Amino acid sequence: MRHFLSYQKRGLLLIIAMLVAGVFVIAGRLAYFMIFVTDRYAQRAQELHERERSIKAERGLIYDRNGVVLADNKPVCTISVIHNQIKEPEEVIAKLSEILELPEETVRKRVEKYSSIERIRSNVPKETADKIRDLGLDGVMVDEDYKRFYPYGSLASKVLGFTGSDNQGIIGLEVEYDSFLQGTPGTILTLTTAHGLELENAAENRVEPINGNHLHTSLDIVIQQYAEQAAERVYTAKNANRVSVIVMNPQNGEIYAMVNVPEFDLNEPYTLTEAVLNGAAAEELTKAQTNDLRNTMWRNPCISDTYEPGSSFKVITATAALEEGAVRLTDTFYCPGYKIVEDRTIRCHKIGGHGSEDFKLGIMNSCNPVFMEIGARVGAERFLYYFEKLGLRSRTGVDLPGEANSIVHKLENIKAVELATMSFGQSFQISPLQLMRAASAVVNGGTLITPHFGVSVENAEGVTIKTLSYKETDGAVSPETSQTMKELLEAVVAEGTGKRAYVAGFHIGGKTATSEKLPRRSGRYIASFLGFAPASDPQVMVLVMIDEPEGIYYGGTIAAPVAGEILGNILPYLGINPDYSEQELKDYKLGSISVPDFVGKTEKEAKTVFESFSEGELYIVGEGEVVTEQFPVPGEMVNENSDIILYMGAAEKIAE
Amino acid sequence: MTRDEMEQGKKLKKRRYYDYTLLFLVLFLVCFGLVMVYSVSYYNANKYYNDPTLFLRKQAIFAVVGTAMMIVISKIDYRIYISKLPFLPVKPIVLLYIVCFGLQLYLVLFGQSTGGSQRWIELGSFGKFQPSEITKICVLLCTSYLVKLAPRRLDNLRGFLRIFLIMSPLVALVAWENFSTALVTGVILVSICFVASRKKGYYLWGLLLLVVAAVCLIIFFPYRIERFQVWMNIETHPKGYQILQGLYAIASGGLFGKGLGQGIQKLGYIPEAHNDMIFSVICEELGMIGAFAVLFLFVLMLWRIFLVAINAQDLFGSLIATGVMAQIAVQVLINVAVVTNTIPSTGIPLPFISYGGSSLLVLMMELGIVLGVSNRIEGER
Repeated sequence: MRHFLSYQKRGLLLIIAMLVAGVFVIAGRLAYFMIFVTDRYAQRAQELHERERSIKAERGLIYDRNGVVLADNKPVCTISVIHNQIKEPEEVIAKLSEILELPEETVRKRVEKYSSIERIRSNVPKETADKIRDLGLDGVMVDEDYKRFYPYGSLASKVLGFTGSDNQGIIGLEVEYDSFLQGTPGTILTLTTAHGLELENAAENRVEPINGNHLHTSLDIVIQQYAEQAAERVYTAKNANRVSVIVMNPQNGEIYAMVNVPEFDLNEPYTLTEAVLNGAAAEELTKAQTNDLRNTMWRNPCISDTYEPGSSFKVITATAALEEGAVRLTDTFYCPGYKIVEDRTIRCHKIGGHGSEDFKLGIMNSCNPVFMEIGARVGAERFLYYFEKLGLRSRTGVDLPGEANSIVHKLENIKAVELATMSFGQSFQISPLQLMRAASAVVNGGTLITPHFGVSVENAEGVTIKTLSYKETDGAVSPETSQTMKELLEAVVAEGTGKRAYVAGFHIGGKTATSEKLPRRSGRYIASFLGFAPASDPQVMVLVMIDEPEGIYYGGTIAAPVAGEILGNILPYLGINPDYSEQELKDYKLGSISVPDFVGKTEKEAKTVFESFSEGELYIVGEGEVVTEQFPVPGEMVNENSDIILYMGAAEKIAE
Repeated sequence: MTRDEMEQGKKLKKRRYYDYTLLFLVLFLVCFGLVMVYSVSYYNANKYYNDPTLFLRKQAIFAVVGTAMMIVISKIDYRIYISKLPFLPVKPIVLLYIVCFGLQLYLVLFGQSTGGSQRWIELGSFGKFQPSEITKICVLLCTSYLVKLAPRRLDNLRGFLRIFLIMSPLVALVAWENFSTALVTGVILVSICFVASRKKGYYLWGLLLLVVAAVCLIIFFPYRIERFQVWMNIETHPKGYQILQGLYAIASGGLFGKGLGQGIQKLGYIPEAHNDMIFSVICEELGMIGAFAVLFLFVLMLWRIFLVAINAQDLFGSLIATGVMAQIAVQVLINVAVVTNTIPSTGIPLPFISYGGSSLLVLMMELGIVLGVSNRIEGER
């Protein structure tokens, strides 16, 4: 202590005192953070560490009425990059843009964006994703995922619709039932490093996803395929703009098939089809043009487009007249080939005129002057009342998005000329489905049904959670009128303009139509046929529309045979057995061949057997090695050249 | 002198004092530092160098070398530094001053290659060497020596200024490249002078002047001083990221912490967490209890150095101990204050714990000198 004086010691103590004061200050600061604001700050830190990762729910499937899957899911992958983990950005950009076939700038932008995780591309096929995974690039993540897959490609494309990259419906049933199909995504809450890496051993907070519900529809794959093939044939043969076919149960509104040829591939919904491009080169189109063409391609004309129904509308005019008591079957008319309404001469389609005819013959001939006459007897006000009553002034309520409504004159604008043209289906517009609905009410005893596809919804475990029901209004048409109309329309097919839809053994009723498209005299027509069977108790109704056929354009000539072919094929399938008259049996050598047994045979074997048996069509449904079921059943007596439907499946299934 | 007395004298000489408590404290802190460096750095070391123990191994080598140097230095009589040696033309302390000045000048003149200011001299496989750390020892010894030469002169400002002028070229060179180190060096210088002077009034005026200058700077040029802006708006300022992340770490620690190695903020959230920010991770993993324990260890160490200072055999020794104490104290205080956003940020490592070879080596050498001072204290038992 000799050299250390008191003032020096004092100085040191002063320093020590300052030091202790400093320690107290920082200790206070520490206590402040670790006791008083710990919750707030620690909470923020927690939020920083937590990453919420969503687990996709599997979208519900869409089934046809037989349980065949129409919309399925298949595993695909999502490729993402984690900015912080990328070590060689140039290599990542080059490889990803090459394998994923994306422009380099797009990939570069996403790779260089400073975010925890950035999606490069979703819906990448598993094989492509495996290729990327095998490269082992740092910072590139491959996540397994589901993609919507349509096993039948273009089948009922405009009805089923498709989904976008986020599994949301874009058009069709996929949109209408999106809320059922989507399911609820789950989440995983994990702790991660600043580089987005999940920590192992960190407690995970996991919420399981709820998979989407399955939709059972009234569509029937067999009928849809029949109808589609028939439509394709006439589409090609007549070089038509479009062919639409609707097959519906007129008793309850279940739609078995809705065909709009040309369809598009649901697995490639953004690729414009040849038909829609119409010779244009896809790459030369502007963005707006491409979008327009896509919308055209996706459009479902059966519900979204309206047209002048033409002569098939005479079904409605006749019904109105009968209901009003404005006409009796025995009333006689005279057709000179035209009718003068006020200052206008309106022609019948038969230039020379039908001459003298009663009402029944008038329908069978589809004679315009007869309908102008009875239309005038009903009067504009009552006529519009039947429009209303038969659902022609409101949407059908079908479970598809984008339904169009009819365009009908206001009452005060309907003068004699308008009324006359309306009587035979001109000067107003309705959608094809509206016509189907009204005609269904006419032939089903008077119930106005709601056309629909959705039947029931079941959850992912297969338990039905909802049976869909639709509005039905009785009394749209009286039973007597309905009965009379069925008889009249059967006569149209049996002996009148619709005779090309005639199928021996089945009592088919129907009405032909040839609508001239607007503007008139441009030579563009819609040939159509509205048919139903059996006439006494209609179980199925078909509308065939051929838009802008080349050459012969009469509905009775080109549309009626298509309807007849479809009906002849699907009626046996629907379990409606032919009921031949003596004359028919004699004329067609019917029921003379026994159906061979196909069950257990492979597809190839079955084809060989079929070729020696019939010159009709062989329909093969489903996938599997062997035939598990067939229709008609073995040993049944059928006509020459009948068609056979075979259901394929796994060999084990036969035993059941 | 009788035979007995001679015998007694010999015994007294042999029973020289050695501050084992201080030695133990240093070794404990260094070992604790190694554990923390490993805990904080293994993630980044693995991520960027694919070698989780890389930082630990480097630091451990310095710790071993540092310990050896500390013990060797503690056995050398510290008075040698200021005595004339037969094989040297000048005193060792003068040589040290010249060498430090040369190194610092070299950095200022030739160290601009990497853009901003350069703080290291590359030593190939030995890593980087930071001359400003050696300069701390130089300032410590030179100031103590200058004061010892004429302690009375320090009674007025002129005496202080004389010493300051002699040391200022060196401090200025340090300040050129690194403000934080210059600050620490300045504190060493001033505290030695402060302790040695009999009249301390002018320090108060000096302090007052500094405070006024700083306040004026902040008031009139707030936008110029970005660090001040960051400090005031730590939660919103983009450059406050590192400190804010540190605060998150401290706050998530709570009372008892998440457990050693269990921190998350070090996993890339706090940049360079093993350097100046290591205390925030200590808080996160060991909690308030652990943080206070570390502070308590530092206070204990400073107390031991204080005891060495007041018991030293001569003024030179006690001033050295004072300087070392001031340096460690100011580094701990500033480091923790920065980490807790108590003051605007400045890069000062936490003594013995933060990763960094030069800093650890120099601190251990200084502790060696202090232990040497303690070793010259003649025991009375």
